[in-house]
Amino acid sequence: MSVPVKEVPFAGTVPSPKTENEGMITGNWRTRRPVLDADKCTNCLICWISCPDSSVNQNADVVSFNLKYCKGCGICNEVCPVGAISLAPELDFED
Amino acid sequence: MTNLFEEPGLKQITVWARGVYENKEARDVVVAVTEAAALEGKFVQAWENYVDLPDRIYVPVRAYGKISDQEIESKYVYENETPDIVALTEETLVKGVDILAGIKPGAVLVINTKRPAEYLFKFIKKGTENLASIVTVDANSLAKSIITLSGAEGATDASGIGKGMGAALAAAIVKATGIVQFESLLKIVENKNAAKKAFEKAQVVDVKTLVNAG
Ligand code: SF4
Ligand code: SF4
Repeated sequence: MSVPVKEVPFAGTVPSPKTENEGMITGNWRTRRPVLDADKCTNCLICWISCPDSSVNQNADVVSFNLKYCKGCGICNEVCPVGAISLAPELDFED
Repeated sequence: MTNLFEEPGLKQITVWARGVYENKEARDVVVAVTEAAALEGKFVQAWENYVDLPDRIYVPVRAYGKISDQEIESKYVYENETPDIVALTEETLVKGVDILAGIKPGAVLVINTKRPAEYLFKFIKKGTENLASIVTVDANSLAKSIITLSGAEGATDASGIGKGMGAALAAAIVKATGIVQFESLLKIVENKNAAKKAFEKAQVVDVKTLVNAG
């Protein structure tokens, strides 16, 4: 099947490579927000590879979260081997 | 010119919830309140919004109810475009979701939360001009959310209407709006204890006092 990428219809498919999908902003699904303890993070990137929404950002020292899309599933919190990620109620944050 | 689509006796209830784990509770709220109204001889309708794709965990989803003195003319309109009552099964929905879209003047917002209305009001960015009051009730402390797909897609709900936290939320709606008699609601919901406690404990706050304070 050779379909030019531009002609593939939008239905859960996103042209690739792409880092954002403005048609599916999932940040408002979140009831709990992942919070990083930077002192504990070893930058092993297990959370980065496990996040189903690609909402963990790689950085030089420690990871950060893309809260526009993070839907608060808590998988990063489950998989972190050193317990660097905790989950806090989203409404504790004003932003 | 007269508005041919006007239905003066019609009240619309929209309940927002989180996909999968609160689908039943949202449905129970609209079903309980409309069934109670039906006992009082009203014309009613209750349904869920499948455009929201409610089988995704945490996605904001809606369930709707309509109650009227006259036969409901707009029965095939799939979404409540101008709600009189908006209820949230979960407090975080105040943030980043346009929960008050289209509300009628004098509308009431009912929230399942431990937090005070003052705090939650700060997160609501749109539609507050028409909002009359905010009602808070800690429904989670009175009954659990029952997570089940029984009753979805219109099948019989084996767990029972108003068995969980939705009974408490429905009671808070009734307290704040008087849309039905509380006795009628009690005849419908299974968890009468949660409904009674919520009816007692729900806090009604006038939005005008919040606007002035803010
Ligand atoms: S909570 Fe879920 S979506 Fe958010 S960063 Fe962690 S794994 Fe990704
Ligand atoms: S899994 Fe934990 S230690 Fe590893 S990068 Fe993520 S937060 Fe840091």
